Amino acid sequence: MLADAIRSEAYRLTRNRTVLSWSLIFVPVVMLAGTIGGAVFDSRVERMGEQLPPQLTAANGVLDVGAALVSAAGQLANPGLLAFLLIGAATIFAGDYRWETWRLITARNSRANLIMGKAGAVKLMTLIGLLLFLAAALIGAVAKGLILDQDLVFRFGGEEARTFGLLFLLAYVRVIQFLLLSLLAATLTRSLLAALFVPLVVGVAQELLVTATPLLGWSSVDWQTQLLFPGVAYETLKAAILGGVPAAVLQDGVAWRAVASLALWSFTPFALALWWFTRQDLSKE
Amino acid sequence: MTAVIETTGLTKTYGAVRALDGLSLSIPRGGVYGVLGPNGAGKSTLFRILLGLIRPTAGEVRVLGQQAGDPAVMRRIGSMIETPRFPPYMTARQVLAWLALAHGGKDAAIDAWLDRVGLTEAADRKVRGFSVGMLQRLGVAAALMTKPDLVILDEPTSGMDPPGIQEMRALIRSLADDDGVTIILASHQLLEVQRVCDRVAIFNRGTLAAEGKVSELTASGERLRLSATPLARIMGVLGDKGTIDGDAVLAAIPRAEGPALLRALIEQGVDIDEARWVGADLESVFMAETGPARTEAQIRESLHAG
Repeated sequence: MLADAIRSEAYRLTRNRTVLSWSLIFVPVVMLAGTIGGAVFDSRVERMGEQLPPQLTAANGVLDVGAALVSAAGQLANPGLLAFLLIGAATIFAGDYRWETWRLITARNSRANLIMGKAGAVKLMTLIGLLLFLAAALIGAVAKGLILDQDLVFRFGGEEARTFGLLFLLAYVRVIQFLLLSLLAATLTRSLLAALFVPLVVGVAQELLVTATPLLGWSSVDWQTQLLFPGVAYETLKAAILGGVPAAVLQDGVAWRAVASLALWSFTPFALALWWFTRQDLSKE
Repeated sequence: MTAVIETTGLTKTYGAVRALDGLSLSIPRGGVYGVLGPNGAGKSTLFRILLGLIRPTAGEVRVLGQQAGDPAVMRRIGSMIETPRFPPYMTARQVLAWLALAHGGKDAAIDAWLDRVGLTEAADRKVRGFSVGMLQRLGVAAALMTKPDLVILDEPTSGMDPPGIQEMRALIRSLADDDGVTIILASHQLLEVQRVCDRVAIFNRGTLAAEGKVSELTASGERLRLSATPLARIMGVLGDKGTIDGDAVLAAIPRAEGPALLRALIEQGVDIDEARWVGADLESVFMAETGPARTEAQIRESLHAG
């Protein structure tokens, strides 16, 4: 059963403390430390008689934790978090090739279930990773407010909750789409290093190539750009959710192109990996 | 007698190499079945096909009445192919818990299996520090913990010390005799195979060279051992049916001809101290079916030539 495959993968992941630390703990801890360290520094500067940067005083010493949470949701699909979540994903996707353990589990479940189980475990890990990042952002915002003697408020009404929910969902889809490239790389190459580096190389290449699209006469809202560059699709949808000036310049149908792009980039690597794995010779891992 | 494995014309090629060449084999339900053969004879290829790890090039194979690799069938098979490997960061207990979850098992009796393969004391040690023998034991526990109908073991005693081999032999026999599990094992340790298996198949170059009950195969090489003098006179009576074995002669004759031979020898004035039937061991059957090993002289010659 698929549920058994997900459970067993999740159980195995929980026993791998090294991977858990790097994938889930490292980025939130570094971010939290950075936030608190920055706030302490600003506090010291203020005590020394210097003026704080205007953005810290703009709200008359009031820090909106709800707004900080929404802002953090908008930063969830950042390259740092993506790269470290990739460590866990690559280990899940390529671990059985590396440790030659496929033959142990192919006797216990169908190949389709095993691959979907791995994808399920990665989705679970990603969810936990994003929530830990948000928790660190929340704690960091509160700590920052306390260190800088700001009044803490929590404005999180219906509009903020909707924006937060959509941003979280979008970031989740974007991260999963990126991590599924690791599944395809692992299945095709049977290599942990490939599972780790192929998505990074593809991601960097896309970031570089997208800067060349104006030379082809493509704008960022053209369907070619949207379909070829899921990062652009992500930014398009984020702008649409947040509204404001970037959203105002979006043409009709662009958001749907972006949705199609993320769906395509998620489904295709997974489908290819599943197709290949069900036919793969596993006698040599 | 129902069969757990049935192959018809099973062929597997790797480029120009035919690992299996039209193998037709029926393995009966129950007991311990040995698969023997020199390296490259096709044993591991057969096991990998049975476990759905690779697909045959041609031919048919049925496992427990279903197609090989069928997930429903795979769940009824326990297997250990070559030295098993496990995620190095897990303990032995965690490995079994992980595999039990993958199988959907909740009552996997992990401690009981660790005890049965002699790993209770090492249960909470990480497998990265395990010896080959300990990995073999854990692999056997992993193969058996799902209470399968059919167990396939490739070299289950490889890397084990003599007490471990003895324990493994007892475990395999008890699974077959007490639990009714059909066990198929491959091993190069022919004495162990002779002790533990009920039937064997001998493979050679991807084909079936011999198959049958161990007692029948070894009986076919039965000879009359004569401790008598003078040897030259006995050889004169036997001709090419006799071979000198130390201070005795081995007579390759049917059992029914034994009394007549003894009478003829006595009439020839041969002084017989002892006459007894001796069976062939599995090794001599194996060598007869797969071709002789190179002699010491041949090995020396090839070394000098090299």
